[in-house]
Amino acid sequence: MATAKRKKAPQKPAPAKKQASTASKTGTAPKRRTTAKAMAASQRDISVSEFFAKNRHLLGFDNPRKALLTTVKEAVDNSLDACEEAGILPRIWVHIEQTGADRYKVGIQDNGPGILKKQIPLIFGKLLYGSKFHRLRQSRGQQGIGISAAGMYGVQTTGKPVKIISKVSVRKPAHYYEIQIDTKINQPKILNGKGDGVDIEPGEKGAKYIEKHGIEWVDQPHGTRVTIELQAKFTRGRGSVGEYLEQTAIANPHVSLQYCDPDDFEYDYEATTDVLPREPKEIKPHPYGVEVGRLAAMVEEVEPMTIAEFLRTRFSRVTPAIAKRICETAKVSPRTKTGKVGRQESDALYQSIQKTKISNPSTDCICPIGEDLILKGLHHVVPAEFYVAATRPPSVYRGNPFQIEVGLAYGGTAPTQNITKELLLELLEETDARTIRQFLIHTFNGLGSDAADRIMKAGSLGTRQAPGKLKPKEIESLFTAMKNVNISDGQTMEVMRYANRVPLQFQQAACAVTQTVLATNWRSYGLGQSRGSLPRGPVSLMIHIASVWVPFTSESKEAIANYPEIQKEIRLALQAVGRKLGMYLRRRLKVKQQTDRREVFLRYLKEVSNAVSEINGTKQAELYDQLVKVAKKHTAEADMKLDDRGRPIEEKPEELNLGENVLIVDATSHSAAINRTSREEETGEDETE
Amino acid sequence: MAKKKPLPRARKPKVKLTPRDKKTMARLTGLADRVVVAANGRRDPYVDIPSRTLSNIHYSPRKRILEMGSNKNRRQLFDLSQAKAYMRTMLVASGCKQLLDQGKSTSLRGLYYMLKHTIEGAKENTFDEQGECDTIIEDVEVLLNSIREELHLYAENRGALVGNITLRDRGDVIDCAHMGSGGYAIPSIVEPEIIELSRKKCDAKFILHVEKGTVWQRFNEDRFWETHNCILTHGAGQPPRGVRRLLHRMHHELKLPIYCVLDNDPWGYYIYSVLKQGSINLAFESQRMAIPEAKYLGLRSIDFDRCGLSDSVKIALNENDRKRARQIAKYPWFEKKRPWQSEIQRMLKNDFKLEVESLISKDISYVTEVYVPERLEAKDWLD
Repeated sequence: MATAKRKKAPQKPAPAKKQASTASKTGTAPKRRTTAKAMAASQRDISVSEFFAKNRHLLGFDNPRKALLTTVKEAVDNSLDACEEAGILPRIWVHIEQTGADRYKVGIQDNGPGILKKQIPLIFGKLLYGSKFHRLRQSRGQQGIGISAAGMYGVQTTGKPVKIISKVSVRKPAHYYEIQIDTKINQPKILNGKGDGVDIEPGEKGAKYIEKHGIEWVDQPHGTRVTIELQAKFTRGRGSVGEYLEQTAIANPHVSLQYCDPDDFEYDYEATTDVLPREPKEIKPHPYGVEVGRLAAMVEEVEPMTIAEFLRTRFSRVTPAIAKRICETAKVSPRTKTGKVGRQESDALYQSIQKTKISNPSTDCICPIGEDLILKGLHHVVPAEFYVAATRPPSVYRGNPFQIEVGLAYGGTAPTQNITKELLLELLEETDARTIRQFLIHTFNGLGSDAADRIMKAGSLGTRQAPGKLKPKEIESLFTAMKNVNISDGQTMEVMRYANRVPLQFQQAACAVTQTVLATNWRSYGLGQSRGSLPRGPVSLMIHIASVWVPFTSESKEAIANYPEIQKEIRLALQAVGRKLGMYLRRRLKVKQQTDRREVFLRYLKEVSNAVSEINGTKQAELYDQLVKVAKKHTAEADMKLDDRGRPIEEKPEELNLGENVLIVDATSHSAAINRTSREEETGEDETE
Repeated sequence: MAKKKPLPRARKPKVKLTPRDKKTMARLTGLADRVVVAANGRRDPYVDIPSRTLSNIHYSPRKRILEMGSNKNRRQLFDLSQAKAYMRTMLVASGCKQLLDQGKSTSLRGLYYMLKHTIEGAKENTFDEQGECDTIIEDVEVLLNSIREELHLYAENRGALVGNITLRDRGDVIDCAHMGSGGYAIPSIVEPEIIELSRKKCDAKFILHVEKGTVWQRFNEDRFWETHNCILTHGAGQPPRGVRRLLHRMHHELKLPIYCVLDNDPWGYYIYSVLKQGSINLAFESQRMAIPEAKYLGLRSIDFDRCGLSDSVKIALNENDRKRARQIAKYPWFEKKRPWQSEIQRMLKNDFKLEVESLISKDISYVTEVYVPERLEAKDWLD
């Protein structure tokens, strides 16, 4: 957060300065255009909200497509943080609805603790208002800008207010607000209930009120829902809301997510665990992680005490002895009062801190997802046959503890290739997709539009054909096309990056994570890889960095900076999963060869025995049996030879023992592979909840 | 597939086997018996096939022919890469057995169709192309030490003959001096059982072998064989086994010298080399086919100057030609012969090649009336 503030400060007077400089440059002409006094009249305060209203790209509202994603993201991140902090298993509803050509209404609801009445307008209607700004602790949001900025963007582009309904408990009334940000003064403006908001009674009466006024609310004992209408563009695929939610579900297996997109497709990500992540501890900053400016500011802000005491109490890992040593190196008396420490002394202290050896901060403030849950999350969402996860021990960069986790899923045959004709017919009947293309994309997870197009082309089907109206012949050609198109052809590794469980979707190339993935030699782990590009194959890779302070390259929080310590940890984690993947792939290849060999022999034995009996009149059946016996003996021997450690080879790769943190499943029966979202089922589920 | 199985066996009464067929049959049965023995002993029923590669060929300076070495390739049934080839070997053997049983012979293509069928329980054919079958047949030949003729197989007729000779082909008397413009088509199998030669029926004094049919036509039209009392043959490029075997027999049985008129290019040199020493692929038959005494009459690389040909008949050498020429120069049977070395070097220096037809630029019948008679007269040839 400090960086965000710093960046802002010099920007504020920028317009005025620029004016002045251009004036002085053109001032070579004898005639003055304006006077200092006249200029002073136009020089005034800029409110934070005004600044961000103008510079909304800094917050991720550069274009309509990204605006939609950022809005959902900020709201979901806030909800998750709130639920986890309160110790509630998060349940999130995301609903996007198209209201105009380029307008969408986004509603996000959680089952969190709710928000007190007087806080609601401030949290949603004031920039830089939040609880996470002033502490050093692992959490998703940090800025206190996100959701209010989203609201501001919505108001600016559509004029519709942000609607919030929040409930603290079953017995208490729910609070309903419609607010706008007054950008001039960075204050919320409440529009309903004569500027006071509305209280909705619990029970029957309240329910009636909600229905009457068309307020969107899934009935819950407690929770918050925010509805923002904004100018946006809905997309699918890379950088979309769908991708964000899917990736969130992978990294947060304790979260239940329900997502309804503008085309009325519902996605349901059920929680796979009912254990909340450990509550992260708040820590004091480590001296190594503090810049000189921040140090000076801390010294200024703190209540009067000696400098030694200040160092000892405000930082982690600073013992009295170390405090003394820092002061000595800086040539500052340990007993100097903080009030008397000026810029120069701060600078000296900063320099001496870098020279003094201070032990690394404690790392128990980090709470990783854990290998088990990564496997669960991946398995739940990504259809594949092989899963492996690795969590590195915590490490430290620049005084900030961090931890790297990696999960990898290697996909078997695509769901389209495993399908039976009967199942396809059923699915075609069930689907409510308007076109075959849509049907393919929505039914088969991880297929993507590219592969869908290829299937369409191979089956020579029209793009706009409705799945319900296919002729039997067309169904047949669709079926063969699905069987024959190799989806993984030309597929490259999908890299999912996470920082504190939040997916990072943009600036992939600039990110330390991607760079490390590229620099790893995946060929030695059995994947194809051309120089300088991602490895090929049906692989999904998730990389999570958990830290009290994630070093982003910019405020938009999209890419992680290149610290050698971080890159090293990522590399080690990648190697750990890579080794296991390599073992699995090699074994799989061997098994395939063995099966091939048996088949080849058996195929030819009949021919050989026929030919031989033709020549010398031996009984064909007898000879065939004999040869089959020899074949069995020989393939068995060949199998033994192939094991490089001299152990007998297991028959199937599923029986391979790769140690812990590996999950091998039969990809053909993966539940996430095919979406059988028939509407009735879903609503039925909702009712039971 | 149309054909599920080879011809139904034992339908027709077995014909009486000739002594030669009996020998072949014994070898075939031996091959099959070894498979049974190996299978009963739980061993891989492999076959050792003499290797037909350059590394297993050596030149015998004494006999002046190419001979096959003793290297063998083991072909195993229980080896992923060899299983199919093994299966095919057995198929070809069984096909030959049927031919022998019925006393019939078939073309290579015929056998290919006889054995081609879909393998049970797989979308795979025993053979997909005739070429695959042909190489296996050659394998079986060396494996059983029985030549193609003994396996009752023949290739397409290729090459022609005309001249002052009368021979018997399956009992029919063929007077090769009265063959019109087409000549006598040399059959693929020219073994004594089929073609009988007799010194008494031969007036010709030598054999002139030319490279291809067009040149042969020229000589025939000019009735060269009549004026010079010889036998005129061609092999349609690289001479097939039938032509080579017949030349061999005529050379040895009728004591006729052989002269070759071939193009002046690496390909022509190689044809001469094959006629004279034998080929790498069929080195096992050199004994029966190679004619170390064959002479190379032309065209020579000096002919462009000697005959005063015009520039338009030159064909530039390409990189492949140059490479091939250098290879041929290094063959042991050319290496020690200085005339040959200077011949090849001269061609490389010329950097062009000459076809026999190029002599037509002088006169239509220059080759038959001037060129060849002059060379023969002067005994000007390469050996």
